Amino acid sequence: MSATLVHSFDGIASRIDATGARSVGFTSTLAGEGTSTIALGTALALAELRQEKVLLVDANWIHPSLTSDARRESAPGLADYLARKADLITAVRSVERSRLDFLPVGDREAARPTLRGLASLLANDVTHFQTVLIDLPPVLTGEMYVLPWATLLDHLFVVLREAATPLPLVRQALGKIGLATPEIILNRTAAATPELATSLVAAHRRLA
Amino acid sequence: MRRYLTAAKRYWLVILAILAVVWGAGLAGAYHEYANTYESQATIWVLRASPELTSSNPEDPGTPVIQTVASQQTELFTQLLQSDSFIRDVVERTSQRSTLERAANETKLLADVRKHFSVETLGTNMLRVSYTTSDPRTPVEMVNAAIAVRTERVLQARVTSTAAVGTLYRSEFDAAQKQALDAARDLDGFKSSHPGTLTATDEAHQAQLQLAIDFAQARLSELRGRADRSAVAAAVLEMSGLEFEVVDEPRQQTTPSGGGRAAVLLALVSLAAGALLVALLVFVGALLADHVAGPLDVGRLAPARLFATVPRVAVGAGAGGSELRPALAAIAFDDGDSPSLSA
Repeated sequence: MSATLVHSFDGIASRIDATGARSVGFTSTLAGEGTSTIALGTALALAELRQEKVLLVDANWIHPSLTSDARRESAPGLADYLARKADLITAVRSVERSRLDFLPVGDREAARPTLRGLASLLANDVTHFQTVLIDLPPVLTGEMYVLPWATLLDHLFVVLREAATPLPLVRQALGKIGLATPEIILNRTAAATPELATSLVAAHRRLA
Repeated sequence: MRRYLTAAKRYWLVILAILAVVWGAGLAGAYHEYANTYESQATIWVLRASPELTSSNPEDPGTPVIQTVASQQTELFTQLLQSDSFIRDVVERTSQRSTLERAANETKLLADVRKHFSVETLGTNMLRVSYTTSDPRTPVEMVNAAIAVRTERVLQARVTSTAAVGTLYRSEFDAAQKQALDAARDLDGFKSSHPGTLTATDEAHQAQLQLAIDFAQARLSELRGRADRSAVAAAVLEMSGLEFEVVDEPRQQTTPSGGGRAAVLLALVSLAAGALLVALLVFVGALLADHVAGPLDVGRLAPARLFATVPRVAVGAGAGGSELRPALAAIAFDDGDSPSLSA
């Protein structure tokens, strides 16, 4: 992995590392805010920073794009685990090079995320991971898939897109989450990093 | 306030287009109205109040009605203009008669004519009647015709009223004449039935009969005088045109006039409409653009706090903004297909 690739997510990774958080979720107000990208980038950056395995969970029941990226649409995943149709050993895909373990969403018809099931997952079945990152659907369209995680995670970040996400909807989403001090990640801020783009494209071409 | 300014800057081209269309159309319309409006007006001197209008409050005669003669006539003129028959009579005396005859919807045409009339009080004894339209010849005809029809209507009303009074007096005269004849006949009968010296009682009765005759003749005389006066009243009223004298005759205008007020109104309305539309656009634009403008703006979401920022990735030429995600995905997942839990 290109060392410079993680630079854009270094800030988030460093802050998460500083808090000592183990489980972190990413959600948004609306679709298209860049939540999955940030979850993915942060997972890579944290794996690089902590030099250990990071579990990335695709819990986006509405649009599981990370599962598509990993081409694991038909593989068992979180939903199958919650429905007790599969165990984590068969569901998690490990990528040695990136130090990333990935749990796809699985068969979304099989089960919905419940507080008890998720609590069991975090407390018992993924304890060997020091870092667990969850990609969640937008709050306003997938409230029922987000709220069970809200009380279980060390941090639940709401991703906003600078100069795009309507503030009234953000307030509505924050109200639904109900956290005392919601934490915001502002995506696509004006401070551009051209060298990062160049390195990203170069890394992608190398891999291709 | 800043967000509204930002929205205004964002939509400046649209704002410019709106102002150009609305203000341009409004100002062009105002100029057209000003340049194509002709007005003729007559100034009228009212000498005294019309007898029909001098009555005080019928419910309380002791209460004077505070109204000048000019305002009375203005009110009368305005009321006449409200009737279709009056307007029709006016139009039929002008060159617009053919238009009226050809009109498919006469009521609409009459209403349109009515809107162009204006009657205003200039002082205690002066009033002005004006007509405004896009044709320089019609206004003078309309004003002249309106004054003429008004005069005819008022005179006709007075003559009718006078004739009714005359009829009443004649019927009363006939009754009084019959009463006088009866009284004379009674007296003659009494005299023929009482020849010679009359007793005191008979003398008293004869005196009563004589008194009845005198009374009937006095009444006859009075009623005859009233009937005669009512007969000549119509002729007298014909001469009372002095009470409504046209001081300034209406003239045909050769240059546009009378459209200034409408033009100014049109221009003001268009200016206000343009400003309102722009304000609405800026308001809606600011509402739609009500988002986090930068890291410092996250404070508007208190008690939420900013945890971190992710900079926008500026990609090189030929690369789109979606390059980041596939690159990350490739780095994260392209490691062969070896599903296993390694911890």
